[in-house]
Amino acid sequence: MTALRVTGVDLNAYVDGQLAPDRAAAVEDAVARDPVLAAHLADLARQSADLRDALDPWLDEPIPERLISAASARPAEPARVRRRWQAPVLAAAASVVLGVGAGWFVRDAMLERQGTPTTFTRQAALTHALYAADANRPVEVWAPEEKRLATWLTKRLGFAVHAPDLNSQGFALVGGRLVAGNENPTALFMYENPEKQRMSLQVRKQPVAGGEVAFRYAVENGVGVYYWIEDNCSYALSGNLDRAQLLAIGRTVYDQLQSADPTAAK
Amino acid sequence: MTPPTSIDPPLPQSDLLAAIPRLRRYARVLTGDTAQADDLVQDTLARAWEKRRLWAAGSDLRAWLFTIMHNVFVNQRALARHEKLHVSLDAGDDGGEAWQIPVRAAQYTRVELVELVQHVARLPVDQREVLLLAAVEELRYEEIAAMLAIPIGTVMSRLSRARSRLRAAFTDSPPVTSPLKVVK
Repeated sequence: MTALRVTGVDLNAYVDGQLAPDRAAAVEDAVARDPVLAAHLADLARQSADLRDALDPWLDEPIPERLISAASARPAEPARVRRRWQAPVLAAAASVVLGVGAGWFVRDAMLERQGTPTTFTRQAALTHALYAADANRPVEVWAPEEKRLATWLTKRLGFAVHAPDLNSQGFALVGGRLVAGNENPTALFMYENPEKQRMSLQVRKQPVAGGEVAFRYAVENGVGVYYWIEDNCSYALSGNLDRAQLLAIGRTVYDQLQSADPTAAK
Repeated sequence: MTPPTSIDPPLPQSDLLAAIPRLRRYARVLTGDTAQADDLVQDTLARAWEKRRLWAAGSDLRAWLFTIMHNVFVNQRALARHEKLHVSLDAGDDGGEAWQIPVRAAQYTRVELVELVQHVARLPVDQREVLLLAAVEELRYEEIAAMLAIPIGTVMSRLSRARSRLRAAFTDSPPVTSPLKVVK
């Protein structure tokens, strides 16, 4: 006579049809001799069938629109299509503004010293337009890795940055990336609302220390930019949103930066 | 002239759409919350597009998506814990709205099923996950082990514990903790 042990794990595997044939034969043999074991096995089999009966109806529920578009990844809506061809144009415009226009640079630098950072707003607007139009890769690091994003950007910028939570304003974080600034690298955080409108927050170290907090609004190439300078940092919110919306979001960002970590911008 | 070949071949969209109901169910079992579940599915799909080069064309798309979802969930949960946000990613013991079984006209209401799902909601998330993948999705243990990056023995012991707990909840007897032994 051989001694055999039938374990709970064996019974599970048997019920799931994943037990090797020799072990399965051993289970059947043992079950035939032991009514308690047989009842246990029957319980497990019924439990699995019940689980499928209970959870299969979930599969028939209507799928939300946002998940269908997430599965598509390249939305065919007209707005996206239009912005797709704009991106190269804007990129070209950016290179002209930032690379060739030496005269503009001088003027911008002067205005910047006077407290009107036109370079930053124009840059912010162009950068936003460029990446917001990118359906597949608007950001380098996606929202699920928010912590890694903050760590990376903090390291590259040389001061603590993190993505403010704008869910109260209806904008969820998409992710972020590092973008080139005139003198200092800039952190970009991209957000999206349920209508798929994108909005970005850009943060960089301000070369010339600003004085008091000043909130300003500008429209650059049709993109609304709301920006402010505080201590040694400049912030710009850009998006195809109206002024009131941007102001409200700007306040939220400002308040969060103030309450969350008052030393972050120092 | 030949058309330019795509550097990033897109994922098979019809398969992706077809996988959504199962992804939603998995997400719901993980999060125990319908809204969070759909957020998780959306994050998973975004990640899948981002990582599409890593998908071996022709291989099981559902298994690949499940793997991504598991990782996204684990990362988000770790982040939530790290930031000490009081976000309940675990269903906890309330067995909320997410765990309701939709009533279908053709299906007679079975009290045991409602009760069963509530007991599932109270299982630790690790056990719920394995139970769904093995008993409901009927995936091979090896596949589940690869998906969750855990040894196959861990898959089997989690599954065993989950089933024992469910069984105990119904029979009001203590769960079987020691392996059954039959000596003849």
